[in-house]
Amino acid sequence: MAYTNRLLRALSPADQDVLRPHLRWSELGRGTVLFPPNALITQVWFLESGLTSIVAISGIDQGVEVGIAGRDGLVGMPLLLDADRTPHRIFMQVAGTAYTIDGDVLRQILDEQPSIRKLLLRYVQAYATQTTYTALSNVVHTVEERLARWLLMSHDRQDDDEIPLTHEFLALMLGVRRPSVTIALHSLEGLGLIKATRGLVTMRKRGNLEEFAGASYGVPEAEYDRLIGPLR
Amino acid sequence: MPRFFLHIDDGTQRIADEEGSELPDLAAARDEALGAARQLWSAAILDQRDIGMHSFHIANDQDEVIASIKMDDVLPVALWSDLKGS
Repeated sequence: MAYTNRLLRALSPADQDVLRPHLRWSELGRGTVLFPPNALITQVWFLESGLTSIVAISGIDQGVEVGIAGRDGLVGMPLLLDADRTPHRIFMQVAGTAYTIDGDVLRQILDEQPSIRKLLLRYVQAYATQTTYTALSNVVHTVEERLARWLLMSHDRQDDDEIPLTHEFLALMLGVRRPSVTIALHSLEGLGLIKATRGLVTMRKRGNLEEFAGASYGVPEAEYDRLIGPLR
Repeated sequence: MPRFFLHIDDGTQRIADEEGSELPDLAAARDEALGAARQLWSAAILDQRDIGMHSFHIANDQDEVIASIKMDDVLPVALWSDLKGS
């Protein structure tokens, strides 16, 4: 079976055989909450498509995205680290599909198959790098640069050039109010890098968008390539 | 809840808000625009850009403009007179 998920792909055929009988196919609509804050993690998702947003929340109505995962990764990372829950809220920002595995089954496999555990822990490191660079970006880069970085990151996780995103979602992703997103999209569009229509951003000139994003993009992606394999 | 659109006028062109947001009433839409104006100023000041010519036009779901807010409306009075008075 050919997987799209980069982690499942990176496993040896023997390790794939260990996991395969336990994987169940699952379709995840936009907005599906995979983990509400502090919910017990009873399963792990290996995403085949779509995009998950990991959001840190403060109080009742404030939150900002701290990480994303798509076909590059999995959702349910605390389980790999001997934890059973996370205060983050994790939901599908772009509808997708995943292979899901029971948490207890995966725990046992990780104990018995060090090669699987090692690969998945390397992914945790790659993800941690992404999330720290998001923290950096939120402080040192402009909204336009952060938007460019974010669009590149989501484009990395799909084949299509069309990214279905509302301005409202982008505002949460970037930790800004909606009009800041409207203006930033308008700037990138004015440079011919993207096309933004209602609920949809289309990548037009990826190379130029990377140039625009500059140093805000690339370090976590290089780490991913080094630790796991090609991201795109 | 009604939907309000926060179109932006940058002095030369209108940047349309194609999505809008659901808000309880016009007062909430004004608050949203004022909050956004403060955020836009903070970025503009860091980049040494003047957005004093910009404004928000708040439209209802018939696309009728029902209120306008100038970016200058959110500047502290002391700063505003410093900028414009001298």
